[in-house]
Amino acid sequence: MRLRTLFATVAVAVVAAAPPAALAQQKTITFRFNDPEAPQLRAALDEFEKRNPGIKVTMQRVSWGDAQQQYLREAAVGTAPDVAQLAFVWPRSFGGAGALRPLDDLITRPGLGMKGWDDFFARDLAVGPDGKVYGVPWTTDTFALIYNKEMLAGAGVATFPRTWDALREASQAVYRKGGKIGWGFPTGSCGTPTIWFVLNFYWWSKGPGLIDRTPDGKFRVSMTPAEIQEGFDYYNRYLQEGHNPRSSLSYCLWGAPEIVEGMLAGNMAMASVPDTVAIEIITKWQARNPGKSVPFATSPHPAGTNGSRTFFGGRMLGISANSKNVEEGWKLIQFLTQPDPTFTRHYTNYTPAQRSALDSRSWTPELAGYPEQLKTARSWGPYGTGPVAIPFMWNAVGRAAGSVFVGEKTSAQAAAELHDAISKELAKNQK
Amino acid sequence: MSAVAGERVHAPAPGRGRPAARVAERGFLWLALVPTFFFLVSFYLYPTLFNLETSLTDLSLFGLKRGGDWVGVDNYVELFRSGDFRRVLWNTIVWLTLAGVGVRIALGLALAFLLNSATLARWRLQTVSRVLLIVPWATPPVVAIIVWRWLLDPRVGSINSALISIGVVDQPIAFLSTAGWIWPALLTIITWNTLPLVALTFLASLQSLPDELVEAARIDGASRWQLVRYVYLPHLKPAIVVMILMSTFWTFNNFVYVWLTTGAGPGLYTNVMATEVYIQAFINGRFGYSSAAGVVMAAIMTVFGLVYLRVIARRELQEERS
Repeated sequence: MRLRTLFATVAVAVVAAAPPAALAQQKTITFRFNDPEAPQLRAALDEFEKRNPGIKVTMQRVSWGDAQQQYLREAAVGTAPDVAQLAFVWPRSFGGAGALRPLDDLITRPGLGMKGWDDFFARDLAVGPDGKVYGVPWTTDTFALIYNKEMLAGAGVATFPRTWDALREASQAVYRKGGKIGWGFPTGSCGTPTIWFVLNFYWWSKGPGLIDRTPDGKFRVSMTPAEIQEGFDYYNRYLQEGHNPRSSLSYCLWGAPEIVEGMLAGNMAMASVPDTVAIEIITKWQARNPGKSVPFATSPHPAGTNGSRTFFGGRMLGISANSKNVEEGWKLIQFLTQPDPTFTRHYTNYTPAQRSALDSRSWTPELAGYPEQLKTARSWGPYGTGPVAIPFMWNAVGRAAGSVFVGEKTSAQAAAELHDAISKELAKNQK
Repeated sequence: MSAVAGERVHAPAPGRGRPAARVAERGFLWLALVPTFFFLVSFYLYPTLFNLETSLTDLSLFGLKRGGDWVGVDNYVELFRSGDFRRVLWNTIVWLTLAGVGVRIALGLALAFLLNSATLARWRLQTVSRVLLIVPWATPPVVAIIVWRWLLDPRVGSINSALISIGVVDQPIAFLSTAGWIWPALLTIITWNTLPLVALTFLASLQSLPDELVEAARIDGASRWQLVRYVYLPHLKPAIVVMILMSTFWTFNNFVYVWLTTGAGPGLYTNVMATEVYIQAFINGRFGYSSAAGVVMAAIMTVFGLVYLRVIARRELQEERS
């Protein structure tokens, strides 16, 4: 009798502990997300789970600074997350490294984005060296200059400068007027320094980029050391003249608290930031100053002989080569590339990387500089498709500029060394 | 001579029992050593050999799946020809290690003498000062670095505010961005966080000095300096040697202070061996080259290790003799 009771108890316990049929069939996929908006994205994922009861999504977090090497190390041993958020320029090299699954068979299916694969831009950056597609462009952004209208007006700058020299003069005027920072760009060194972007904006506006493709399909370093040096000298003058303080050497990221709080506190007149950071600055200012009119406006970067040039930046989504949940991962990508609900309710500071979405996006008057800047933005192009990895150039340019800013090397010396380092890397990889 | 004293007691020498017992004893010894060997081989020997092998290839972050191609000693040749690497060596050996350890030992000694002084005891401040000394040591390096970065900030930092208010400087100093100040500022942070261990070690050694020795020297008319020179320092010498060697290990290998404070910059101004290994592997993606730098780093550390073992072995020998 006792034995029977025991068996009955065990049987009940086993039945109770067994997952319901739906749960037993549920698949769990992992999604690596690196942007700061984790709670917002989690809410979008919750909605995805509701619509797809058989799929549960575990969100993993890694900082952007570590994301690339972390993913590649995991992919090498088969433990990369099923779906990952990638920088725009990563899919090509990741695909070449065998870390991502080709998506050619999936992108032709219906349900991707608003109007299918052809509506996405920066598709060239999603293609690997073998011609296969390894990523789906997810969001896009670019850098523009956000500025405090009152501070500039107070310094006698009536209209926002449109040339590089005028921008420096405006920055200097702000400093002379009240000792405040003019254009406060970060000059610090790290793996992903901002100076890389603003130097490229300067160089591109004058013409060539660091790496370009020749008509015969080969890549070359298309800038001379003198042209590189000109960029170093331009930004170094801000430090030498004091309107971008030397303390900017101690931070390197475009969204650093020193930038955001500097703009919010009225200690900095201008900053070069992506639209997400501009929205953060404006939103925080409104929260701290309820009822007051926002003093900020945005403008494209200055133009040179080649116009005003920034880049199409953004994020892509990819499925890892080791994923055993490809169908579920693809469903997630389809869901995340639909504007509603991800971009309309959760991930609202970002713009889908689709022409239809970009055309239909409305910008507040303060952010009017961004759509204007997007008109002249360029793709990373040869930087992303060439033989020199962007992280290598990014770090090398940041370090070279840093050595000029701190006075360790002359701009001519640093430019020559940088030119030499990139040329060697190119020659080595283009064999 | 008493009978007891005259007896020769022969303890059985190790391994002198019956052959079967000897085999069993030896077997047990080997068995007991297996876990240690397992961990040494798995976590030290294998990674070291793997790193050595990687340093002879062109393995990259993007080629982890494919593996690297054999390039012989190319990475080492490039390393030693690189002006940047010579700079890295200079920063690591001269600034980080020699200056860093030197400052810590000198200040540690000064602090230990202060904490051991009769004046502190007279004012009943010994316990308070020792507790206060532990605070920096108990602060995690990451926290210490963040706090110091704020303290040293030219715009909002209280150090600049204090210097300006007492008239030492007219303009704030960007300590972490001005060439002449970066290394002293960095060493200040490292010293603040790690000095207590050095000082407390010296203090413990000072307190083990018999009072009679000091009294005898005083009766003999020794001045304060002579006391320090001929009584305290000889007594402290073993502790000083060990702390120099240990601090050298900790400092030479250190990554966190430099990386979190300056990111090895501006430029490569504060780049050291540990940050160079990281930058080459995880930013430039050059695992082979980074491994070569790691091997050179390990080789330098091995020299320090041999010196340390020699010092420790000599001391144990002296203790056995005495």
